[in-house]
Amino acid sequence: MSKNSGGNPIKKRRTTLTLPSDSLVQAERIARVRKVNLSTVISEALSEGLRAHAAVTRSEEVLNSYRAAFSGFTDDEVAILDGIILEPVKRH
Amino acid sequence: MVDPAAGPFLFDTSAESWLMRTTRSEVLNWVRAYLSSYQFEVSALTVVERIRGYSLLWRRAPLQRRKLIEASRISYLRALGPVWRLDEAIAVVAGEIMALLPDPPTPPRRSHRVSESRQERLARWRFDAMIAATALVARMPLIHNNASDFEPVRSAIEQSPERFPGLGPLELIRCASLT
Repeated sequence: MSKNSGGNPIKKRRTTLTLPSDSLVQAERIARVRKVNLSTVISEALSEGLRAHAAVTRSEEVLNSYRAAFSGFTDDEVAILDGIILEPVKRH
Repeated sequence: MVDPAAGPFLFDTSAESWLMRTTRSEVLNWVRAYLSSYQFEVSALTVVERIRGYSLLWRRAPLQRRKLIEASRISYLRALGPVWRLDEAIAVVAGEIMALLPDPPTPPRRSHRVSESRQERLARWRFDAMIAATALVARMPLIHNNASDFEPVRSAIEQSPERFPGLGPLELIRCASLT
């Protein structure tokens, strides 16, 4: 039985998918070369795609948080956020 | 142009705010591409500068504006990636940089309305020395929007390699040259 990175057995489910013929032909070719079954190749490709999708989602979340951290401030206020501590000039 | 996949990079305090306030779509796309592979790595000194800034703005702000400042501070902390602490190696290199360049290379910032004190300018200069030392020890290019402070550090290190054995050169990348 396959195991995940934590050493626990991976639960599997049978399903029916409709896939583009070209992709399927390519996956079957890879399975033949690697001497594994088609499910393994499709499963690996799906995992890779999901990882990439999660990375993009995470990157967008971080970018949104970062942009929120600096929005609504004037240039002088951003200077203070950058460590440039500006005080009003005293008039004599 | 800098390949975002060539990271990770260390981001100076000035770079974080410049990149996050830009409206240029090509810069934002660069940041997106970078963040899909890496995180924004910063020095602990950047966190000191940033959090002190939020706190000072909060103290000066009227009550109704404090909510926005606090929400911004929380957003910043939520986005924060790996933070390089000031360890022994970085402290040693920072001390060497400060001895080579004891005075800030440019005068305090001032405009007709506001100005920076000499003490604050010196403190900021020393923070920059520690951030440059972090980049050197971490062997990461430093992305910045503060050439007037970091270029003299790079030159000084090149002129005194014996004080930085096994380190350098300090690799600097300006924000404007990322795309």
